[in-house]
Amino acid sequence: MSDAVDDTDMTDTPADPTGDSEADESPDADGDRDDTEPDLPPHRAASRSGRLDSETRQGTPYTESQVIMPTVKVVTPFAFTYGLFITFHGSGSPGGGFQGGAIMAAVVFMIAFAFGIEATRDWLANTVVVALAVGGALAFAGIGLVPVALGGAFLQYDLLPIPILDPVKYGMEGVEIIGIAPIVSGVLMGLFFLLASGFDSEGSGFGNGSIDEDGSIDESEPIEEGGSLGEGAADAGGDR
Amino acid sequence: MTVSGFASPVVAQVTAVEASLLAFVVFTALATALARDVLAAVIVFGAYSLGMAALYTFYRAPDVALTEAAISAGVTTLLLLLTLAKTTRIDHEAAFESVNLPAAGAAGFLFVGLLLTMGDIPAIGSPDAPVWSNPDVSQWYLAESYAQTHVENTVMAVLAAFRGFDTFGEAVVVFAGGIAALIVLHREVFA
Repeated sequence: MSDAVDDTDMTDTPADPTGDSEADESPDADGDRDDTEPDLPPHRAASRSGRLDSETRQGTPYTESQVIMPTVKVVTPFAFTYGLFITFHGSGSPGGGFQGGAIMAAVVFMIAFAFGIEATRDWLANTVVVALAVGGALAFAGIGLVPVALGGAFLQYDLLPIPILDPVKYGMEGVEIIGIAPIVSGVLMGLFFLLASGFDSEGSGFGNGSIDEDGSIDESEPIEEGGSLGEGAADAGGDR
Repeated sequence: MTVSGFASPVVAQVTAVEASLLAFVVFTALATALARDVLAAVIVFGAYSLGMAALYTFYRAPDVALTEAAISAGVTTLLLLLTLAKTTRIDHEAAFESVNLPAAGAAGFLFVGLLLTMGDIPAIGSPDAPVWSNPDVSQWYLAESYAQTHVENTVMAVLAAFRGFDTFGEAVVVFAGGIAALIVLHREVFA
């Protein structure tokens, strides 16, 4: 960090605090208009400030589009119904729980791209995603273990205590509909939100700006001094 | 194995739709490998997956086609784009990577070697193909799956009933993949 100390002469030093606040606010003003600053989760704020360089160049992923939003509004019910159809009709036509679950998760991705990932994250709570994945795994295991409890083999469908309906056919439907489809859609949604929130860089060298001697992250450096952008990049490379 | 083996009977059966799909898939695969800009490579890779999905449909494997379209063309492309949005995009002068000649030579050698085996592969849709005519596997499942599982879709009958335990393992692998992503990214909640 000796470079930074050398570069900042006496005239630059008083200007630093204003430069800092400007650098902090500008990415928020540009994108994610639905976000209010105070309730940003700490991990989100941290990862954002660490990626100032890329965000000022190409903007945040989300832009409010008058074309995308109405299109997604029209397409969503049909796509979700198609996902349900693929899941529920897997025994009589191509498809099944895996494909249908992926399509239903893709509908959520579509909504997130149209209306903002953070808004979708708030709308679809973590509880829902976890309940889908865990509930699906437990349901599949449960359908498999009930025949074992009744003295049969794992997944021996004809022993399932299903009244009136054919236990073999509806046992398989149960595995596809309440087992595989929720697991796939839940895990895919979870991966999507995880990747959207990014890497929590605490304690690792990824995604940070250069770190000063006192431990604070000097995120304004690459923007403040346009000429020293190459130096900043070299610094980051050396840190890793 | 004769060289004329793959020249006359197989090529003669290729229809225009099939040929154009194959050309599209090969073109997008090459473009994915050669594109210098990662964003362009991801987008072309999505187009490649879409072409493969159409090709699977053409070869009457709609279950595989659905999976390819939903997972590869849709979800994977979105996840890659989302990851790219977190990185810095570098402006490249050239549109394509310069070709590494030894690597291209090795790939070409492998390609020619595989092409030479084409003569021994049965023609597409041939009733004599072992994978189709085998009475103990394919024909047995086709004959027995409805009687034993009461569902019309043989693929689902095999996956959920005959190979149900394997499918349970696969579902658990998907679930474990989600948990592993949480651990790798140092997070405790998905959303």
